[in-house]
Amino acid sequence: MDAEGAAVTLRRAAKRYGGTVALDGLDLEVAGAGVTAILGPNGAGKSTAVGLMLGRLLPDAGEVRLFGRDPRDLAARRRVGAMLQSATLPPQLTVREQVALFAGYYPSPLPVAEAIRLAGLTGLEDRRCRALSGGQQRRVQFALALVGRPDLLVLDEPTVGLDLEARRALWASVRALVAGGAGVILTTHHLEEAEALADRIVVIDRGRVLADDTAAGVKAMVATRTIRCRTALPDATLRAMPDVRSVARSGVHAVIATAEAERTLRALLGADPDLADLTVTGASLEEAFVSLTGAQAADPLVAPAERSVA
Amino acid sequence: MTAATLAIAARESRAELLKALRTPEYVVPTLVFPPAFYALFGLALARDASASLYLMATYGVFAALGPALFGFATGVAFEREQGLLALKRVFPMPAWAYPAAKLATALSMTFVLLLVLYALAVFAGGVRLAPGAWALMLAVHLGSVFPFALMGIVLGYSLKGQGAVAIANVLFFLLSIVGGLWIPLHVMPAWMGQAAVLLPSYHLAELALTVAGYERGPATPTHLGVVALWCVLMAGVFAIVQRRAAM
Repeated sequence: MDAEGAAVTLRRAAKRYGGTVALDGLDLEVAGAGVTAILGPNGAGKSTAVGLMLGRLLPDAGEVRLFGRDPRDLAARRRVGAMLQSATLPPQLTVREQVALFAGYYPSPLPVAEAIRLAGLTGLEDRRCRALSGGQQRRVQFALALVGRPDLLVLDEPTVGLDLEARRALWASVRALVAGGAGVILTTHHLEEAEALADRIVVIDRGRVLADDTAAGVKAMVATRTIRCRTALPDATLRAMPDVRSVARSGVHAVIATAEAERTLRALLGADPDLADLTVTGASLEEAFVSLTGAQAADPLVAPAERSVA
Repeated sequence: MTAATLAIAARESRAELLKALRTPEYVVPTLVFPPAFYALFGLALARDASASLYLMATYGVFAALGPALFGFATGVAFEREQGLLALKRVFPMPAWAYPAAKLATALSMTFVLLLVLYALAVFAGGVRLAPGAWALMLAVHLGSVFPFALMGIVLGYSLKGQGAVAIANVLFFLLSIVGGLWIPLHVMPAWMGQAAVLLPSYHLAELALTVAGYERGPATPTHLGVVALWCVLMAGVFAIVQRRAAM
């Protein structure tokens, strides 16, 4: 443990399910303030990493600490609130009963009404969970995660099932909690979400960390520029050009991610005199992500989650 | 176990009781069947106070069966399947508070049922017992919750929701009918009496009947021993299925 005390430490954490490797010696340390996004496609190991840091799963190898303790330790868990990806709340209890029950687990929780307000559930207090929409149920779980005034919120895919308005509202609440000094770890495959919220983005795939930087840093690290153009050249030829990281097709356009746009362009223009519709842009996080995970993207506008992952 | 964790368990129990009372498919077999069946077989169709006493002893075990078996088997199976158990485990709830709350719910529902049953027996059936016998009767009946709860929690950890409902229903009728809780075994086919000795419900009913003054067959230590054996067996199976479910 360093003097400050990291909120979460995973050291060479490994986890497999049968023959499937979920985490392959993952190293991750989260200090405890600000928002850290764990970004990766489905099956990348995000939920397993979350399960380990919350003490829900035990690593096959390596070490996991939560506030310097075993994550199963009650004293560690009292400093954490969490949202899991696939939990259904008891249909018979009202929103207020549910939030009050979880508030009672903590030594100095928020007032129940305050937690309900922060989660955008005002007016639904006396509704039983049975009568809530999927998005409303997710918001109740968000209320449960924050009601204990935790030092760290761990949110596994918090905005799945939320409409745009509810998603924005949740982001605003996350920012308010962070401004109040809480740390947040969230997993997402919404790149927009990571860009909008995170101070730090950890990209993982196949159980390993591929990148760990600020959103800008993650972009800079990979495809710094994206070239879009119409060209008759086959993908294989494009891929062989200098500094090209990845090649994709979007309709009639080729989408080329490159580390050095000038060098790639020189080669490109030399090879195809009929090249047309040329644009060069800074890479979006989507493109950075595609490049990092090495996927053969069909279209950079398609969210990585919708790609099939080998 | 501090005051704070006890308070958590108390709130957990209250929530558990609310959940139970707001679930009709749990309330009907657990809260309606025992007094209704007793009123029919133990009072309306009984010839005298002796029959009412006999069936009060066996229906008291039946009163413990529903809340314990359904509360644990279907409750745990559904909440495990829905990820609620996993969610609770990542929150700072002491792990024992979850089964403790279910146990408290089963015990308090059984207690209320027993009060109704005893009142029916005394006021409508003319049943009379010495105060010490009443206390022992209550102890046997409330104690019946434990072996049934263990059986329920094993089902809850081994099966998914709908599977647990199906098996719990089969066990509910098997333990009731073959165990002699509804109709005295001596008016049933002989094979049923032979099969009954394998079931904890039979031995619990025999213990209650002994308290009521119907001592026959094997002695009290045998009944206690079989019930204890069942509990140890179920606890052992539980340790295995829980470890497997956690992985």
